[in-house]
Amino acid sequence: MMDANELKDKIFAYVEAAKGKKKLKEKDIINGVSTEVGAEKDVVKKAMREMIDIGKLMYSYGGGASSVEIPSEEYLREKGLIK
Amino acid sequence: MSKKYDTPLLDELEKGPWPSFVTEIKKAAKKSEMANDELGQVEKSYRTKRGYWKHGGIVGVLGYGGGVIGRYSSLPEEFPGVAHFHTVRINQPSGFYYSSKALREICDIWDKYGSGLTNVHGSTGDLVLLGTTTSALEPLFAEYSSRGWDLGGSGSAMRTPSCCLGQSRCEWANIDTMEICHQLTHKFQDEMHRPAYPYKFKIKVAGCAVDCVAAIARADCSIIGTWKGKIAVDQDAVKAYAKGGMNIQAEIVDMCPTRCMSYDGNALSVDDGECSRCMHCISKMTKALKPTGEKGVSILIGSKAPIVVGSLLSWVIVPFMKVEPPYDDLEGIIRKIIEWWDETAKPRERIGEVIEIKGMRGFLEAIGVPPVPQQIKEPRKDPFFFWKEEDLTK
Repeated sequence: MMDANELKDKIFAYVEAAKGKKKLKEKDIINGVSTEVGAEKDVVKKAMREMIDIGKLMYSYGGGASSVEIPSEEYLREKGLIK
Repeated sequence: MSKKYDTPLLDELEKGPWPSFVTEIKKAAKKSEMANDELGQVEKSYRTKRGYWKHGGIVGVLGYGGGVIGRYSSLPEEFPGVAHFHTVRINQPSGFYYSSKALREICDIWDKYGSGLTNVHGSTGDLVLLGTTTSALEPLFAEYSSRGWDLGGSGSAMRTPSCCLGQSRCEWANIDTMEICHQLTHKFQDEMHRPAYPYKFKIKVAGCAVDCVAAIARADCSIIGTWKGKIAVDQDAVKAYAKGGMNIQAEIVDMCPTRCMSYDGNALSVDDGECSRCMHCISKMTKALKPTGEKGVSILIGSKAPIVVGSLLSWVIVPFMKVEPPYDDLEGIIRKIIEWWDETAKPRERIGEVIEIKGMRGFLEAIGVPPVPQQIKEPRKDPFFFWKEEDLTK
């Protein structure tokens, strides 16, 4: 079974690869990463949620739909996560 | 704070006997720079006939994907007070009951971090706070949540469930709407705060078919209180209505949508087998008619306002279901509905649209609800002949 940190790195890489190309919904990430690394969907979901809770990923909204993205430096500064 | 802008066009909206949002913004503008600049920007919009709000983007509180709607002015140099003007949705209490202490608490916090302007309530049901900055969001949320308030839903998520005031004040309510709404709100917390759906999903709970919460017009899933028994008729009270001037034939019998009532000038009778529980007669003759027997809910699906495509009204899928706390059966069927929609819909498709595209058959099969006559939407539009291969070989 994949280590939790390793899984989070995979999730981050998956989101990063889609940056500027496709807005990813939670389900896209869960399904995509689960297929890619062979992990249970619930495990991927839990890891992704933990990343969102600490600002490693974030929810965004545009064009009527919500998506998950990598936060900008401005966002992280505003949330006090970086100086 | 002094007046910054002349607003001759907005001033027109203060004339007449009606409440005016302009008057309220002007009141707020006496102590809020944001409200002051909002007046200036809206006046300019009326003058130039174009909007200057930008919508969406990356605003919210850490860990949540909903509850804050990003709004910015496209003229930040001209109207700096509304450069950021985000909307915050606060999850309303069931039935919209507040103590004056609670309302003061909400407004005191809002005066500290926002424009002071509110919309009580938005059509979603939430208590809406209008106009704050990105930097104020985290401290504002911390203050509200420390006092037991939470954000409502927004984006592609479960929206804050809402209900009419039900049995707390209304004799027509067949179900405890407030408890159902409260329980469903708790059961769907994750789905409200973490937007994972193709688009929005709204649940509204009405105590009867009068539908004071407008579930049939707006909710993806409408839960309407109903009954199984007969309509009890008090003939003395019927006579009293007639004596009081009510034209029972014209106002009640002729307006019954299923023509299940008759009146011989003396007694009113109901063919209960033909009654669709629409509540028209009961709401007009409250003292003479009342529902009897088992109470429960009808579940309807698919209404929406005309945003992407045209508006839709809800469609009955479960004519009667008995419900009891903690409403696990109700939660179960809603989760099945959402699961089918989530798997089937394209982004920005509401469930009503998906059913129109894919058909009711697949939907009912997926959620395990059998086809029944009450689901027929209108005469000669019966989509419920579910012929399968094995039927054809018989």
